[in-house]
Amino acid sequence: MSNLTTGKPKIVPITGAGACAQAMRQINPDVVAAFPITPSTQIVEDFSTFVANGQVDTEFVTVESEHSAMSACIGASAAGGRVMTATSSAGMAYMWELLYVAASMRQPVLMSLVNRALTGPINIHCDHSDSMGARDAGWIQLYSETNQEAYDNLVMAARIAEHPDVRLPLMVCQDGFIISHSIQTMQLEDDKAVKAFVGPHLPYHSILDTAKPVTWGALDLQDYYIEHKRGQEQGMRNALRVIQEVSDDFAKTFGRQYNLFEDYRLEDAEIVLVAINSVAGEIKEVIDELRTKGEKVGLLKIRSFRPFPYEQIGQALSNAKIVTVLDRSASFGAHGPLFTEISTAVYNYASGRPLLMGHTFGLGGRELTLRHIEHVISESRICLDKGEVGNRQGMWLNVRGDKS
Amino acid sequence: MTTLKTWQELPHGGVILEAGSAAKYETGSWRTWKPITHRENCIHCLACWEYCPEDAIVLEDGIDHAGATRKFVKEVNYFHCKGCGLCVRECPVNKEGKAVALGFVRDEV
Repeated sequence: MSNLTTGKPKIVPITGAGACAQAMRQINPDVVAAFPITPSTQIVEDFSTFVANGQVDTEFVTVESEHSAMSACIGASAAGGRVMTATSSAGMAYMWELLYVAASMRQPVLMSLVNRALTGPINIHCDHSDSMGARDAGWIQLYSETNQEAYDNLVMAARIAEHPDVRLPLMVCQDGFIISHSIQTMQLEDDKAVKAFVGPHLPYHSILDTAKPVTWGALDLQDYYIEHKRGQEQGMRNALRVIQEVSDDFAKTFGRQYNLFEDYRLEDAEIVLVAINSVAGEIKEVIDELRTKGEKVGLLKIRSFRPFPYEQIGQALSNAKIVTVLDRSASFGAHGPLFTEISTAVYNYASGRPLLMGHTFGLGGRELTLRHIEHVISESRICLDKGEVGNRQGMWLNVRGDKS
Repeated sequence: MTTLKTWQELPHGGVILEAGSAAKYETGSWRTWKPITHRENCIHCLACWEYCPEDAIVLEDGIDHAGATRKFVKEVNYFHCKGCGLCVRECPVNKEGKAVALGFVRDEV
């Protein structure tokens, strides 16, 4: 690739989708197979422009469906290439079968996922039903509050996913429209610096290596299936360490430090909110406001949901008196997926015993305003004073017909 | 019987690094019925060998009535034979109905 920029990082106004497309251009993957779907469309659109302009060397496969997109990604990855794709909502649902195949075949396919509600009723706006539904598929999931985080996570993605102790597919998630379509200023790193950070891709038993023929995707029965799955689980466990290592190196190179989760004014917080993605920005705003009035409130923002850092999160919540979890997806008939993970982390690893409360919000793009967040915190305070959560458990926020 | 490997010993993602390793896999244990050769009736046309999906019909070299060297049906490899019965069905001697070159009997468990 000849037209890489050299020089300093640039502060640019850009959408979240545009930022991910820029990261893909800088990574210059061997193969991209994707099918456009709202709100991830701009990623594929921008990237196809880079291909047409010769700004990347990528083989861009315009498939007829997402099922084919992920199939092509798996094949290209098994052939030894660095492979990327982008999708949303029903698009990823259509990849479902292949998500599991990519993970179990240990192919480090990289996906830029723009979170959008799943159909029923049809809706194009943000919630986390798509990625939360895929949480058991075996993909590493990194979440991003802002354009900058979505870009940075994608720059780090290849080194995490392709690490020989991990070798698993990875999706970088950002909120549909709220982030994907909103222009924010962010720091776009230098092309060559990104390329140097990402490094070369090392194939693992490529099917194109005819000198050493191998078989990928063979039948596996009672005698070996579970051993292969155990190995897959080990890759996830190792990923906790590798994500931190790569994040630390990223901080050394580009100056922005990321961890498995972000703790915001957590040290002395009695009330802790736990949330994922863009809503964390609003929560921080409310926390800063309430802190000036003396309310001891903090935020724990999830970055790595798979693997889930139970031990570290449990310890971080040890001093909390009440932990209120905000799920942007529903598991009907059960608590939200984030709430159940936080409860597990607190029960097993927190030295204290905070009250635990979980709420559902934001399905299909329903907003959660600063006022709603203030309300959640004041309700948490009431529960804390009473010493019990009671019937405030499992509320749906900002829903007509419900008190909240 | 091969020794089964631990998860730590396996390459990632179930990739199989050895060509032709399927031959080591005992699919014979799946069988409920098994074909038996009756060599006295066999005309060695090799139809069973051609149809067998598991390559379980074992051949050997022999001399035919004209004195030429050719392949003859020797036996069935029960390590691989799944007992599908295709050989029994395709056997032209069986089809004639006058004799049985390939019998099909309940496999002993």
